[in-house]
Formats: sequence, C-alpha cells, structure tokens
Amino acid sequence: MNYLAGRFEEIAPCRWRLGRDADRAMAADAEVFATRDILQQALADDSIAQVVNVACLPGLVGRSLAMPDIHHGYGFCIGGVAAFPAADGIVLPGGVGYDINCGVRLLSSSIPAADFAAAAEGVGHAILQRIPTGLTQRSLYRLGRKEFQRVLAGGVGEIVRNFGGDAGDREFIESGGCLPFDSPAIISPKACQRGSSQLGSLGSGNHFIEVQAVEEVFDAPAARLFGLQPDHVVVMIHTGSRGFGHQVASDYIETFRKRNLGRQKLRDPQLVHAAVGSAEGRNYLQALNAASNFAWANRQLLQEEVVDILEKALSMGRERLGLRLLYDQAHNIAKFETHEVEGRKVELLVHRKGATRAFPPGHPDLASPYRAVGQPVIIPGSMGSSSYVLRGTARAAALTFASSAHGAGRRLSRHQAVKAAAREDVSQRLRNKGILVFSLSSQGLKEEIPEAYKDIDDVVTATVAAGISERVARLRPLLVVKG
Amino acid sequence: MGRYEIFATTADAGIRFQGRDFAELYGNALRGLNLLLFGRNSRPPAGGGSRRFRFRGDGPENVLVNLLSEALFLVYHEGKRVAASEFRHAGRNSVDARLLLAPLTRAPAMEVKSATYHDLRVEQRGGILSAAVVLDI
Repeated sequence: MNYLAGRFEEIAPCRWRLGRDADRAMAADAEVFATRDILQQALADDSIAQVVNVACLPGLVGRSLAMPDIHHGYGFCIGGVAAFPAADGIVLPGGVGYDINCGVRLLSSSIPAADFAAAAEGVGHAILQRIPTGLTQRSLYRLGRKEFQRVLAGGVGEIVRNFGGDAGDREFIESGGCLPFDSPAIISPKACQRGSSQLGSLGSGNHFIEVQAVEEVFDAPAARLFGLQPDHVVVMIHTGSRGFGHQVASDYIETFRKRNLGRQKLRDPQLVHAAVGSAEGRNYLQALNAASNFAWANRQLLQEEVVDILEKALSMGRERLGLRLLYDQAHNIAKFETHEVEGRKVELLVHRKGATRAFPPGHPDLASPYRAVGQPVIIPGSMGSSSYVLRGTARAAALTFASSAHGAGRRLSRHQAVKAAAREDVSQRLRNKGILVFSLSSQGLKEEIPEAYKDIDDVVTATVAAGISERVARLRPLLVVKG
Repeated sequence: MGRYEIFATTADAGIRFQGRDFAELYGNALRGLNLLLFGRNSRPPAGGGSRRFRFRGDGPENVLVNLLSEALFLVYHEGKRVAASEFRHAGRNSVDARLLLAPLTRAPAMEVKSATYHDLRVEQRGGILSAAVVLDI
C-alpha cells in the first residue's frame, strides 16, 4: 500500500484524507487521524490497506475512519470506525472484533497515592490470588444455564442484584451496562459453555488491572466532575467478553459466510457482512448485545472484587475510600446512534473496533454530571507508561461519529517484543521505576513491554491536535496486574 | 518453509503450512497451531480420548478455520490439545477426522481468540497446497 503514501493530504492538523480516486474500488474517502509518523507506520504495517478495504464496503456513510492508535488488525484495522445506515445498511462482525465489548473501566477515589504505597504489595498479591488471570484459571463464579441467561439479558443490573455493588454505577456505564437481548436461542451452546465458566475473569494478553495515581490535571473543571484529584489513586480495569464473545463472533462470521459470501465482492473475507434487517443480521446484533452485557457484567464483578481487596488492605469502607465508578467504556462494539450527517440527524450503526465513543458536551445519552464537559475518554498506555483521561468534543461528533483513540496501539509483534526483552527481568525494570508488576506469565510480561507499543503521548498528541478529544488528566501506574 | 511454521503480525500471530493433499494440509495446520501454543519440543501425553470432527463447508479456507476453531475450543474450554489426527476423508470442501486428544500438562503460550479468514487463501503450486491463517490474539 506504499503507493498510497503520496496520496494522503493533511487537510487539518493530524487529519489525513485519502480521496476515493486513490483506488477504484473505494466507494468513499478515507480519513486517518494521526501524526505523520503514525501515518507512516500505518502505511508500513498495511493497516491503511484495511482502511481502504472498509471504504469499499456498500452503504458506508461519510468516510472510512482510523483513529491515532491505528494498527494492523484482520479485515478492519484496529482503531477503525465505520458507520452504516441503521435501517437498511450492513453489519459486519469484522468491524467489531472477536473480543466483543472489550473495554476499560476507571474508578476514582479519595485515597492519597502516598497512603496506597504501603499497601500496594499486598493489594497486588491479593488481586493475583483472588481474580482469575491468564490462561489456566477459570472464573470467580460458575453459573448455571438459567443464571447465565439472566446475565446475558440483564448485564450489570443482574450482577448488582445478585452479587452486590451499587445500582448507581449504571449511570456511568455506556448504555447503562445493558443492551436489549431476549433471544437465548440465537446463542450457540458452545458460546454458553465458554461463557458460563469465564464470568469474572481477567483473561490474558493486554488485559490488566492497574492502580494508578493522577499525575497531572490539564482541565480542572472536568477533572473535578470526573472525581480526579492530583496525587490520588484511580483503578483501571481492561478486559472484555472472554471466550463467550470470541465464540459469538466466530459463530456469526460462519453464519454470514454461509448466507452471503458468494454474493459479496470482498478484498478480505473477514469483512463478510449482512443486511441489518436480514435474519442473520438481526440475530448477530442480538448476540452482540448479549456479549456486550457479558463484558459489562464481567468488569462489574472484577470491580467489586478489587474494591473488596482495597477495603481490606486499607481497613476502610468504599465510602470512606471515595471509590466510585468514573466511567466504563466499550472499544470493540457496534451500536445504533444518532449523528448529524450533512446537516441532517440520521440513525446509524456505528462500528468501533479498537476505538472509543467520545460524545460531546450536552449529549443526552451522557450521565447528567458529565453533560457539561463531555464523555470521559479513557486511553490506557502500555504497561509502565502513563494513561490518559480525555473528554469528547463537538469536533469528534462532527468528524468521527463521536469516536476517539482507545490505547497506545502495538508497534512490535509479540515475537519481536519477547526477543527484545529476552535477557531482561521486565518486572524488576518496572519496579526500579516505582511500578509493582504482578503476573502469572513472565512471557506475557515480555510481550507487553512498553516498547511494544506506540508512545502514548504521540497518540494523545494526535488525538488532541485533531480536536477529537481534549486532555483532562494524565495517570501514572503504581501497580500493574497483567493477565 | 517446512511443513508448518509460525509467523507474527503487529498485533496477532499466524501459522503457515503446506501439504501434498488436503489431509496433510489440515494435519499440518493442527501441528502449526500446537507449535504456536506449546512450542517445538512439547510431547503430549496420551489419554485424552478422541473427538470426531466432521465439517462440510464452501472451500478449504472454511474447513481450515472450523478445524482450528474446534482445536481452540478443546484447548481453552476442555483443557485438551489435539495430539494427532486421522483423516477418514479430507477434501476441498469437507473433512471427517478423528482427533486424538491429550490433556494439557501446561498452559498454552497465549490466548488465541479465534482463527480468522483474514487474507486466507489455499493455493496450489507444483502439486503442493499451502495456506496461512492469521490468529486473533
């Protein structure tokens, strides 16, 4: 795709447009929000080819978009955003990914970072001991068939009802932590088997639980509304729908393939799709909702476990610790949303794969306390580097269907990362920087070394320069538990 | 390339494999997956029973993804790996195989979410079939 390098035009800072005349199969323009360096990396790793492939899909509304953490995926690039008409457009599992509703949850607190330091080691051990991580362990709760179906239908609400927690949390979760699902028959037995044994587990790879400190505040009013105080602790949880979502995605890619592949001219079969109104399209959207509910329920369970660990470690209840859910956001999902396109409000199905929703100030779907400043946008950095809290903007609503970046984005393959860290004690290196790291897998730590990812500051710089989010605060890791 | 090997993409990993016929191609796909998950020198113990895998699809790519998906389900849900495979039938669009299973004695090196169709094409050159499957990690 290097032949496209000269075809990009920087139409605004960190906003690169590729006209549809660059490739005769493109039905729409493409736009990449990136620094020049990030764009070059995306050209080199062929993720731009994936942005172009999405621009070839039928009925795409606006442009094929890529956020500043763009990197190579399969079918769709990671960091990709695409919208289709809600009534008669298409839906594609490849535009969501296998880890449906993989996402990030952030808790704020009134725990001074200095007070946490003395308890950090014990908290790390307790998290690793109590929360199933990695590949060999299973789940906090093993559910029967009926209980499991209730979680798929009820999401976070079901968890709060049965396992405790604060019902008020729902206001601070995208879609209230529950999307409509009432068709258990459209979920395969295999998916249910995988899911019922994995609810309440972190998983592996880049999934993590981190305790961080607020290092710098850029936007004091927004930080105050979000409950972020300088030098105070926050807790970040990154995980998704585990094997349940993986199986749902695999099942529906097969179904779509059987029904539709022969009729679709695709450059990549991973982009197989169905009409939103078709039986298979409707069923996938229901299954997607079930997997999303599973993921929100999963993060809720992990939150409650971490809160309990902190309460015990610091000998104080959650109220006194000031622990409250700041926000829970999905970054692998497709959702029906209303957006303004060419001056008209239209209903769209927005696919975000490795991209975060970033509603602007005033959006009616936001939690009322946040309407003045916009949706929190949580961008985790790599292990050992800063993470950021940003907020959605009107410009994001205008340019990216209210979407933003979701993370640092990989730069090295896992193999390259392991090779680079072959002779290194990664845990010790981070400990020397004041970051405690806990993991059952030393290989996993090597795969996740900070150098394996883009510099989070570059991603945030591009995001802010393009105007699709505004900085609120930077977070510094204190304790990392890796899956 | 040998009969099978692993390769890396930026975010994911993959297996590349070949065979003189479909049985060998599919068998080497399973060996490649084991190489990725368990390394080169791992010898699985016997005693995990067997599983019959029958599938009819729209082409060898469809067969491969479903065969690998079954192997992944066995690893991550049932705690077993495919130690060997016997193909009663292996064709372009269908397969009927007996998968000989072994219990996992150690955790796989990574969590593979799924086998994907990304850029997947079975090609035949000089009587040798070959393919590469990208796995979502």
